[in-house]
Amino acid sequence: MCANFGFPNVEESHSLIRPSWWCFALLMAFLLPIFASVATAVDVLRVQGSTTVNSVVADALEILQAEKGLSYRIDTQGGSSGGLYAIGRGAVEVGMSSAGFSEQDRARFPERDLRALTIGYDALALIVSADVWQGGVRSLTAQEMRGIYEGRIRNWSEVGGSDQRIVFFNKEPGRGTWKSFVRWLYGSENAAPPVNHPEVGSNSETRNKVIGTRGALSQLSAAWVDGEQVFALGIRDAAGEIVFPSQTNLADGSYPLTRPLNLLISGPPEGKVQLLIEFLQGPRGAELIRKHGYLPLSAE
Amino acid sequence: MDSLLLKKRYRPDLWAVFSWAVLGLVLGVLVYTLATLVVQSLPAWREMGAGLLLKNDWFFRHGRFGAAGMVYGTIVVGLLALALALPLALGAAIWMAEYLAPRSRWGVKVLIESLAAVPSVVYGLLGVLILRRWMGEWLAPFGAWSGDTLLTGGVLLAIMILPTLTTLTEDALQNVSQRQRAAARGLGLTRGEVVWSVILRQAMPGVLAASLLGLGRALGETIAVYLVIGRMDNQLPERLFSGTALVQPAQTLTSKLGGSELYIALGDPVHWGAMMALCLILLGITGLCAGASLFLNRLWTTNS
Repeated sequence: MCANFGFPNVEESHSLIRPSWWCFALLMAFLLPIFASVATAVDVLRVQGSTTVNSVVADALEILQAEKGLSYRIDTQGGSSGGLYAIGRGAVEVGMSSAGFSEQDRARFPERDLRALTIGYDALALIVSADVWQGGVRSLTAQEMRGIYEGRIRNWSEVGGSDQRIVFFNKEPGRGTWKSFVRWLYGSENAAPPVNHPEVGSNSETRNKVIGTRGALSQLSAAWVDGEQVFALGIRDAAGEIVFPSQTNLADGSYPLTRPLNLLISGPPEGKVQLLIEFLQGPRGAELIRKHGYLPLSAE
Repeated sequence: MDSLLLKKRYRPDLWAVFSWAVLGLVLGVLVYTLATLVVQSLPAWREMGAGLLLKNDWFFRHGRFGAAGMVYGTIVVGLLALALALPLALGAAIWMAEYLAPRSRWGVKVLIESLAAVPSVVYGLLGVLILRRWMGEWLAPFGAWSGDTLLTGGVLLAIMILPTLTTLTEDALQNVSQRQRAAARGLGLTRGEVVWSVILRQAMPGVLAASLLGLGRALGETIAVYLVIGRMDNQLPERLFSGTALVQPAQTLTSKLGGSELYIALGDPVHWGAMMALCLILLGITGLCAGASLFLNRLWTTNS
């Protein structure tokens, strides 16, 4: 057997229940489920991006889960630019975007074959709080909106309302809403002047802050307007013609502030991704899109 | 029997190996994080120089990155939180340590420590639902446009760090030896006089250490601040302590990093570098607080 090498013979009679072993086992018991969950996450359809697109896609996924047993995970971290980033890095299978899809976006992730599939259209509304609406403001011209955005117009009385400070909540500059908004006012994102405004993120945050603030104005998907707490202003052209963001004005193209609702995918659609896209571009998807206040593709 | 024992002795100590490995892992992660932040922020430092930290000029669409407004917001929000929370925490701690019977003290301590464990998003939502509205109404006469102000952020953070601050301060007071109390009482001092001239003086380094720890937590807090601060860039008043700045929206380092700008920055080395530089600046500020807290704590334990 083994030689003693002259070490004192220390009794270790209870080695099996040494506390260290138990600690080790306990640690492993905590760590193993984490490893296991990381390993199984591959099988889930992951979706991320725009809060505007999310309301439709989340409903569609829920239906697909009930009918086809699809497992999925959806979140709106980072809005449209978060969706583009996530699909570009391969963190998700489907990105959601309401910001449009340009060659510039494609060039950011050259290693991926990114493509955008439009499922519908959304009207972008200039929304105000109840006190502004009751104060008599019903519409703005693009000129007036530029003035407010650049801080030259600061009071509602300058655009036909009561004497109340204009509190403009700007959508975070990465949001699809913001991009569509400045493209309408200035032609492109980079032409927008440097301004400082309080910023808002998701659609629900925008809505809640506008509801809770006197004199509030912000940009928001028209689908979130209720006409009770949040009101959509019309857009007035040079001739004094006012166009409201209604479904009909969206469908006939008379409302100027519109944007596509896109699903971003990498490569040709396959498997679960294809299942989702076929559902959304089909008749039941169109019904869902209309239900949420957007315009489905087929109605063009 | 004898041979069995011998075999056991030469088995490597698994626990030691494991703990060294874990220590190495932790240090490795720390070094890797710091190195990544430094390397990735280099393009921004090269482009902007010290202006990245000192200039109040953040317009990323125009390639201008100057984070002074955010640094100001972060520091003011943290100091506000501490200034509002410390007197309350000190009062509660004195009551717990000096006036409460030991058994009920334990109960109160459990309650307060469980408050400290409430996730910050819960505080944030309460802030949005309740505090934001109240502040909007109270501050309207002072020129606030809405409830999203620097002050709202400070008050919310004060509420959030109050439990931590209270329980740490109470520990500091408890650590003053009973002999000192007895001696002071024996000299004829009243209970209040003992608290004022003996306990507080003795416990001061501990209270300071607790404050710095609380400040560190307030500075690093993200979600709650993100929800109520208004997130308006480039808010740096002319004077350091400006009343009008307090009732206006602001931006902190954490509320900027919590927004969607991080996603836009990706792919543009200078913009991304500027965001990483914000991380570094934040790490520097909180690290300074934690370090000062540790230093004071050591000073305190060696003195008593």
